[in-house]
Amino acid sequence: MTGGKKTIDFDSALERTGGDKDFLYELIDMYMEDFIPKYDELKKAIKEENFTAIQETGHYLKGSAANLSLSFLKDASLQMELAGEDKDIKKAQQTLDELKKEFARLKTFISNMD
Amino acid sequence: MKSKQNKVKILIAEDDRISSKILKKHITGWGYDVLVVPDGKKAWQVFEKNEIGIALLDWMMPEITGVELCRKIRNDKSGKYTYIILLTAKNKQKDINKGLTAGADEYLTKPFNPIELKARLKTGKRIIDLLEKLHKQAIYDGLTKVFNRREIMRILNEEFYRAQRTNQPLSTIMLDLDHFKKVNDTYGHPVGDEVLVEIVSRITTKMRAYDKIGRYGGEEFIIILPHNSIKSLKKIAERIRINISQKSIQTSAGPLQLTVSLGCTSTENIEASSTKMIIKISDEALYKAKNNGRNCTVVG
Repeated sequence: MTGGKKTIDFDSALERTGGDKDFLYELIDMYMEDFIPKYDELKKAIKEENFTAIQETGHYLKGSAANLSLSFLKDASLQMELAGEDKDIKKAQQTLDELKKEFARLKTFISNMD
Repeated sequence: MKSKQNKVKILIAEDDRISSKILKKHITGWGYDVLVVPDGKKAWQVFEKNEIGIALLDWMMPEITGVELCRKIRNDKSGKYTYIILLTAKNKQKDINKGLTAGADEYLTKPFNPIELKARLKTGKRIIDLLEKLHKQAIYDGLTKVFNRREIMRILNEEFYRAQRTNQPLSTIMLDLDHFKKVNDTYGHPVGDEVLVEIVSRITTKMRAYDKIGRYGGEEFIIILPHNSIKSLKKIAERIRINISQKSIQTSAGPLQLTVSLGCTSTENIEASSTKMIIKISDEALYKAKNNGRNCTVVG
């Protein structure tokens, strides 16, 4: 499933952030900080079957993840956006689990780096 | 101050704080002035101040989306042109068409490539600079650098309605160089041009910061003085007249002694129902000044 992808494509993220490592770490921290409330929003939206909110939050998380080259999180967020667009609650629930798993993987990856 | 005015100000409207931080870091690093807002409503408030040259708008934003904002900006004809780059993760052909149809000049998909963004901004700046140059050519007189007739008449209209709204007096001075034809006929038009430039400089040093001057005809100028009493109007007109007549003008043909005639009016003095009437009364006062022997001021 993972193919040639990495949790974070460091080189491309660094290129996008102007080669400034400290700045990139600051942005990753920011992503991790933002992720938790957004995840809660998604959970609530799925419970209420609010597809617009599912689509919008998925889109938001996709954008942030793409900027930081967080490939798996970007893919899972895209799936969430599409689940909202297709009004597919089952897919949204499955993707929520996927997001949680990928986020945990990112956390481990970052703590191993430290 | 001039270089600051020429600098293009860039607005980033983006709700994703990671994306807006990356954008800001790059764009500031390239030497642009940057302003960041987190939603479409705040972006619109910034637009209304008419300071933005280039706007980077995210498509999906709270309050007003980037596409809605594009339409709103393009429908508003009052301000200067803003170069719009839509920045979004939407990358389907129909989305691109929708964005461009709404009035975006460019379209960049997220995650953006910094090199491409830099090039797009350069294009935007080139267009904005060109439009600014054209705008200046359209409103200023090429020789004297004061407003041309069309622009000063537009300003007069604007000030007239403002004065009516705020119940404040509005004054005007029509100024004409005495025997200017003789200067051109005797010394040639280049010397006449030198005289006009110096006359404008002597007028403007006696104007207040918020007064406006335009070239109404060949050697005729109009000065608009908002919030000005009739007493102060006479004083300013006389200061201008004396500043011109008291010292000869240095030209390439030698020093020339010149005078001006001035016809003034104020809405404090007359019941003006239109700018046409203000011009007519100022013109008549100028005519009287000419008949009174020139080098004088008449209030109509």
